[in-house]
Amino acid sequence: MEERLLDLPETCCPVDELLKYVRGHKCLDCGKCVFGYEGAAQLEMTLNDITMKKSRGSDMDQLRKLCGLMKTQALCEDGVELADTALAVMEKYADEFAQHVAKRSCKAGVCKRFVTYHILADKCVGCGDCMDACEDDAIQGRAKFIHVIDQDECTQCGKCKEACEEDAIVVAGAIKPRCPPRPIPCRR
Amino acid sequence: MVTLTVNGQVIQAAEGQSVLHAALAAGVYIPHLCDHPDLEAKGGCRLCSVTVDGGDVPVPACTTTVAEGMVVDSRTEAAELTRRTSMELMLATHPADCTGCPKYGKCELQSLYQYMGVNGQDWRMKSRPVPNNDSNPLISHLFTRCIRCGRCIRACQDLRGVKVLDYVRDGVGVHAGVPGGKSLVEAGCRFCGACIEVCPTGSIVDAVGVMEKHPAYADNVVPCRAECPAHTNIPEYIRAVREGRPGDAVAIMREKLTFPLTLGYICNHLCETGCKRTDVNDPLSIRNLKRFAVENDKEQAWKDKGFRKPRTGKRVAVVGSGPCGLTAAYYLNKLGHDVTVFEKRPQLGGPMTSGIPAYRLPIEGVNAEIQYIIDSGVKYEVNHEVSDAAALKKDYDAVLVAVGVSKGKKLGFLPGADFDQVYTAIDVLADLRANKDISYLGQTVCVIGGGSVGFDAARSLVRKGLTVNLACIEPADKILADKEDQVEGAEEGVNILPGRSFEEIEGSQKQVTGLRVHTVKSSTYDRATGKVTEVAVEGSQTVIPCDSVIFATGQYTGLQDFENFGIELNRMGYPIDPETGKSGFRTSVEGIFAAGDAITGISFVIKAIASGREVTSVIDKYLGGDGDIEETLVERTADPHIGEFPGFGTLPRIEMDVVDPATRVKNGDENVYKTYTCEQARCEAQRCLQCDLRLQLETVKLWNEYGGGE
Repeated sequence: MEERLLDLPETCCPVDELLKYVRGHKCLDCGKCVFGYEGAAQLEMTLNDITMKKSRGSDMDQLRKLCGLMKTQALCEDGVELADTALAVMEKYADEFAQHVAKRSCKAGVCKRFVTYHILADKCVGCGDCMDACEDDAIQGRAKFIHVIDQDECTQCGKCKEACEEDAIVVAGAIKPRCPPRPIPCRR
Repeated sequence: MVTLTVNGQVIQAAEGQSVLHAALAAGVYIPHLCDHPDLEAKGGCRLCSVTVDGGDVPVPACTTTVAEGMVVDSRTEAAELTRRTSMELMLATHPADCTGCPKYGKCELQSLYQYMGVNGQDWRMKSRPVPNNDSNPLISHLFTRCIRCGRCIRACQDLRGVKVLDYVRDGVGVHAGVPGGKSLVEAGCRFCGACIEVCPTGSIVDAVGVMEKHPAYADNVVPCRAECPAHTNIPEYIRAVREGRPGDAVAIMREKLTFPLTLGYICNHLCETGCKRTDVNDPLSIRNLKRFAVENDKEQAWKDKGFRKPRTGKRVAVVGSGPCGLTAAYYLNKLGHDVTVFEKRPQLGGPMTSGIPAYRLPIEGVNAEIQYIIDSGVKYEVNHEVSDAAALKKDYDAVLVAVGVSKGKKLGFLPGADFDQVYTAIDVLADLRANKDISYLGQTVCVIGGGSVGFDAARSLVRKGLTVNLACIEPADKILADKEDQVEGAEEGVNILPGRSFEEIEGSQKQVTGLRVHTVKSSTYDRATGKVTEVAVEGSQTVIPCDSVIFATGQYTGLQDFENFGIELNRMGYPIDPETGKSGFRTSVEGIFAAGDAITGISFVIKAIASGREVTSVIDKYLGGDGDIEETLVERTADPHIGEFPGFGTLPRIEMDVVDPATRVKNGDENVYKTYTCEQARCEAQRCLQCDLRLQLETVKLWNEYGGGE
């Protein structure tokens, strides 16, 4: 059992950590039993979907049942250990998993699909660099106006944040900064 | 014995048996997939999950050993949940296009999910595409369809010991395969086909075309045996040769044929055209291994084994003592009938003793094979030509016309074909075999016809010191005789003139002086009408000077030359069965049968033997018997563990050592080849893919084949 996963710092998302753990697990390199290999594969695909905001309502129930079967039906200890770990993490961080499955939030701000990008009104100089960097045309604005990210169009790629020399662009988890709804003239 | 209860049914099982095999043997069906009757059970798929003695946690029936009083149930909720979930998980990542799969309808996975009525749609569905690999000989890999049951790996690693297949991981996941991206030849594959046989899905399959040549499955698996007209058990006798048991090899041959030595020398080896090793590099040299085995069979332990039925008092006359007639006589006598063979020539054997030249077939060997048949109790009369089969029938219960095609044809339309010094190859060859004076041919001859009989005559006469031209209408690349005959004939000094059309034999009735020919660009022969159309090369007319001309342009039965042979013949002189209008085993007179070349036209010794065996069954049934001539002359063992053999796929075909042309012309009757040494034979025999081992493997029975169980 991977004890580290049951004592995660706040900066770590348990869904993401479990996903990474599954991805590195021996069971995915073995293939000798259905419950170990296909079980790990389903864990991987389902957890990935959960982090990508593509979960289904039944996912947690299904994963719990799957891990229950893996515990008794995997061919060797590796599969049992994987199932035990997954069950423990899902239980300990049940709220976190529920928030993800409900497509609300990733508290740690790790799962990209759950975060939002914002341009802070007091830092934006209206230079337009972020607009040029955005490949999804998700940023509105013009010279000397505070730029605004259209959350419906944004794919959380992060290119605008890299392009901004004023550090005006921030990533937000559950708590969002106040920003103008549409471009207004810069204060600075 | 152990008594246990499975799904409410009390069954008996052997000590140490698995619950799964015990249940299946008793007709109680439990679903199963990664288990195979010939492989060690692993318990990876969990489709055979059962609960034992009311326990909560299902266990795999395949890895659970039976115990006295055990109560097993595959239908409990827990067992069903495990089984269904496992199947759903497999289907979630298995491609769904069953109809595009080569295993469609024969797939165990497909059969199972239909039986269980499940699909993978509740799970994340994702295929793991692996490019199909058709680059290997004989075996196609379609690992996108692999379900990792490991059966092929267990077959290759444990059962066969070849150790080529293993689990491999690539970008998309784990599947069976050849580690290191090697080709099968590089990896040391022995192409035994066990992996194909045990694969439950369409992941490892026979390459396209391999299984489509014959209607029967076993014939496609072991095509050499299927291609042999007598269906000789070739892989089994090659195994005996490899293991240093030439006597057993001959016993295996003798189960299907009467003249193994003769065939070892002159068979046209259709078996080799079927040999699957052809796709890997070159076919086995099956004929040469046969020759080696017969020549090294000191004990002849097969003699006097096999069936010998009580005398029936029925009398059978066999007309003709070629391979067909003697074969039929041999088996009919063993079936209890009194057999007399009638031969028009002074000696028995037909073409084996009066046609095929001594340099191809040693006479002592043939005579020994004939003598064995005579010693078995067959009576014979030589110098006795039968001219009326119906008259003969009056004294016998059955008559077999196996006269072959012993009369040579001349091209009657050719001016000069009736000159005195114009002969047929079959007559010249008979004179040569009888050591008669052949000075009537003069010093220079011209053979017309490029088939094997033409080459037999030409090469024999070269050995007699004659100057020999051989002309045929076929172009050089379409000469009818074997490549060997052409190459060796040319080496020995036969002047081969392909693509020639014949205009006239020049000279007079009393003295041939030459053969006038011209060269053709192309020619076509219409089998139906016998007409040849050609495109001549202008100005290519030449005269080949010669003292005599020998026709090797076909042979016929000669039956139509008799005043009345007593049975209906077609215009070519072949007996016909009035019921079908074609030549067959039955003739127009009840009790008179025909077989061999006399119904097929000129063919090969092996075909005549096969025909002789087949007609024997027909005649025996006519005389009130069961027609069964199958026999086992030696017990077989075949070790399924063939072991590792690096470089197996590139082992070269071993040819027999050949005597140099000048020496073989000088030596006359001496055979052109030297029989394999023991080492050569062993090396050649070990190249065999042992395709027949695949048929030892049990076929997994699908749920619908279990009658009573559930």
